[in-house]
Amino acid sequence: MSLYLIQLINGLGIGMIYFMISVGLSIIFGTMNFVNFAHGAFYLLGAYLCYAVVAATGSFWLALAVAPPAMALTGWFAERYLLSRLYHAPHQYQILVTLGLALVIQEGVMLVWGAIGQNVATPVLLQGVVVFGSFVYPKYRLFVIGFTALLTFVLWLALERTRYGAILRAGTESTEMVALLGIDIFRMFSFTFALGAYLAGLAGGLTAPISGADPFMGPGALSVAFVVVVIGGIGSFSGALAGGLLIGVVQSEMSSLWSEGANIMIYVAMALVILVRPRGLLGRA
Amino acid sequence: MRRLLQPHVELAVSLAAVVVLPIVLPSIAMATEVVIFIIATLGCNLLIGYVGLMSFGQAIFFGVGAYACSLTLLHSHVGIGAGLLAAIAASAIVALFVGFLSTQKRGIYFVMLTFAFSQMFYFIAYAMAGLTGGDNGLLDIPRPPLVLFHVTLLSLTPPLEMYGLAAVVFVALFVFLQRVITSPFGSTLQAIRENEQRAIAVGYNTRNFKVIAFVLSGVVTGIAGALYALFLQFAPLGNIDVSMSERIIVMSILGGTGSLFGSVLGGTFYVVAGNMLSAIWPRWLLLLGLILMVVGCYLQGGLLGAAERLARRIGRRGPRAMTPAASNKPVGRP
Amino acid sequence: MTLSRRSFVKTAIGGAALAATGPAILRPAFAADVTKIRSLYALSGTFAEAGKTAELGARIAAPQFAKEYGIKVDYKAVDSEGNPGRAVAKILTEIQQNQVKYFVGGVLSSSALAMSEQVHKANGVFITAAGADEITGQNCNRSTFRWSVPTYGASRETVLPLIEKYPNAKRWYTITPKYVFGEALLQNSIDVFKEKGVEHVGNSYHSLSETEFSSYLTNASAAKPDVLLLLNFGSQSTNTLRQAANFGMKQKMKILMVWAEGLEQYEEIGADIMDGVYVGCQYDVSIKSPGNKKIIETFKAKGAPVPSYSSVSGYVSTDLILRGIKAAGSSDPAAVIKALEGLKYEGPTGQEEIRAFDHQCVKNYYLLKGKPKAQMKNKYDLVEIISSGKSFVPQNQSLCKMA
Repeated sequence: MSLYLIQLINGLGIGMIYFMISVGLSIIFGTMNFVNFAHGAFYLLGAYLCYAVVAATGSFWLALAVAPPAMALTGWFAERYLLSRLYHAPHQYQILVTLGLALVIQEGVMLVWGAIGQNVATPVLLQGVVVFGSFVYPKYRLFVIGFTALLTFVLWLALERTRYGAILRAGTESTEMVALLGIDIFRMFSFTFALGAYLAGLAGGLTAPISGADPFMGPGALSVAFVVVVIGGIGSFSGALAGGLLIGVVQSEMSSLWSEGANIMIYVAMALVILVRPRGLLGRA
Repeated sequence: MRRLLQPHVELAVSLAAVVVLPIVLPSIAMATEVVIFIIATLGCNLLIGYVGLMSFGQAIFFGVGAYACSLTLLHSHVGIGAGLLAAIAASAIVALFVGFLSTQKRGIYFVMLTFAFSQMFYFIAYAMAGLTGGDNGLLDIPRPPLVLFHVTLLSLTPPLEMYGLAAVVFVALFVFLQRVITSPFGSTLQAIRENEQRAIAVGYNTRNFKVIAFVLSGVVTGIAGALYALFLQFAPLGNIDVSMSERIIVMSILGGTGSLFGSVLGGTFYVVAGNMLSAIWPRWLLLLGLILMVVGCYLQGGLLGAAERLARRIGRRGPRAMTPAASNKPVGRP
Repeated sequence: MTLSRRSFVKTAIGGAALAATGPAILRPAFAADVTKIRSLYALSGTFAEAGKTAELGARIAAPQFAKEYGIKVDYKAVDSEGNPGRAVAKILTEIQQNQVKYFVGGVLSSSALAMSEQVHKANGVFITAAGADEITGQNCNRSTFRWSVPTYGASRETVLPLIEKYPNAKRWYTITPKYVFGEALLQNSIDVFKEKGVEHVGNSYHSLSETEFSSYLTNASAAKPDVLLLLNFGSQSTNTLRQAANFGMKQKMKILMVWAEGLEQYEEIGADIMDGVYVGCQYDVSIKSPGNKKIIETFKAKGAPVPSYSSVSGYVSTDLILRGIKAAGSSDPAAVIKALEGLKYEGPTGQEEIRAFDHQCVKNYYLLKGKPKAQMKNKYDLVEIISSGKSFVPQNQSLCKMA
């Protein structure tokens, strides 16, 4: 198998992780027109909660079941008691408050777990690799791809086929309209924010066995999420998937050519998309 | 709504601050750092407070100013004035480029666009290690004396003379920016912030106004970067990191974006509190985070707004009718 | 105008300093013979863990050696925030506010280089254990001493013994962070490859902000190396190793991490992944030497964690300053520098010596191997020493030209 093909597959794997990190941000961004600079910190806290549960019980599966809902609760509280005050304020205050929240989470994590990163062992069932000819791939990463694909499908169903999904999609178009239909928009916002935090926490938990839990992983994840969301189209679910996969593949393919160049290219692409096609690759016009 | 301080009073208080800072702060170095970040904050404040643009690109200009000044002084035997001019020219060119593109978009798209540019310039500076020193930064930057017509005004060797240079530049920029915002140009900027559609309807090309403001802001921030490089005699890669943008934004909003004087408060508070708190508790950023949340939720006028509310309460002893957001609006808009 | 104002402010500052330092001013005779030492480590920000541990070592050493050598010491920790710009500003503050002349610290190359220059300008003494070769190479200066072995020795003392141990391991692949430190490790390793006739089958560069290494590992796998040589540092090398283990590369090749951070990093990586992996390090608690025995006992008596490279680097750096003051019989930095040049002493790694011409400490560098879980005596017993040795660039090849 050619190296480019192998890197393509690996890049798709990275892309699925990027999608997981970004999709929650995109939903919040699109529905609430709210930039959540604490999204990276939610991802960080998700990874640490997962680590804590694994350290206490030894079960990664339990951690995956417990940590993301705990993050949803955190997100719900943050929205209800903090961010909901800011919907009518200029966006610089939204950014300021979520930046503050991110700092509090990051430093709080260090207070509790220390400044050093923590290792989360790969669950026994998924240790080892699978081999297809010259292509070797960790079982756990395959699981992440499969799990994310399944989750994508479930999310898609939820967004396309349920009443909540319909409200949410309508909310991305026009919040006023949804409010006129007599729907409690603030409850919808709380729920959306909790969903976004849930997804960030899940991404943190899923990547913990790959990259560990590290107190400084938030800002990097946030940058990736911004790129993916903007390139895919703000608020667009399929856009986040396409954006994540695209960035993953570009980074992977560029790794053997010019890896710093990949970073420059990605942000050039982000700027170009905003300038030329602000709705992103797959965003609605 | 009346202003707590009239412009000439603000200038007088700023002048007093410049004299008092090196006396009350533990070191002249800290005072120099304060003044340099006040300058950077002034640049940011011009955009947030008077045009309503929140730019994550301030680190670009801070970094470019630092690199331009450092490289000029490292590779040629020109004076310090040439270094500062190089910083002004370079940050103006880069700000024109970034501003021309970024101001095509509004609101959150503008924020995201400046974020993308900030990251882009960071990675460019990192990749061009031959020029910028990469992660090591530029070391051993000379600090030649300030000479005007063969007269040495400041040798810049004693710490206080470096402080003097930064302070003089600060006062000059403060007066200049006061002039800008009270000029017809400044009034137009504020009109754009209040209601861009109306400004367009009246016949203004708002895009041009925004680009000019962006370039002004970039130059002021670039000067701060150049002074920082002269002060440290070192230009680290961190100057152009997006976290530098965040720091400058935080100082601006913390101080209050309603008037230029807010920047004096914000820059001083952030640098001094950061120095003191980090000496006491390694997790001091937790406190900063809490402060940001409180300011964002309850004190949207920042420190300046808080001072104004306090002064009003003492002055009137009446009920407060003003909402926090309203105290953020500067007077004198058309 | 400047003159009069300056003299006014100077007087005023004198007054402020008087008010701030209070008791010290009231007893000037006492204050004069107290030696002020400041450590500058990242206590907040990235690398806070290494900084915190190194500072602990300095904090243990200061009172202990002050007592032992009969010197009055005023030790304080300053947080460099992991930010080179902030570190320099804080050094300036310490120099101006407290007339501090003695500094230890600097973990990251960028911080250490900039600090070194500031302390040199103030004619102080700076002792560091940072990775940047320039510190005792092209950017060397009179004020700065470096305890840690440069990249030259780190590469030679790890790559050479591994080649000798596995003569059949002919194909080596490197993963390198794109900055001066990484390039230096790479160049030194390539020199060893050439010398020993092993094949360098490829290299991947990555940026300092990278956290996802699977694509570099994929490139490495495709080159079918016998040894994967990791030249990155800190959380990046932790992640590379972790992800390499996930890709099953431990079974297919030897992995050598040339510049490990020591115990804290081994713990972060975890015993399962450490098992069988080779690492290079400046220090290990299992070193058998009188100096190390003393350190282990001291740390135990203080109730401190098991000594690690980070904590020992802070400890030794502080010790060296006080040793220099004792040897000089004076706290004048110029005399202390003279005393430190050529100093031989019993250090944690055995006999250590500071070269006079470049201020580089000549000491062992260690090749270690991760132990299987079954053989670990306790949770800190993660590695065993395979070999050690001293390799240093000789004076005629050194880039250090001290004025």
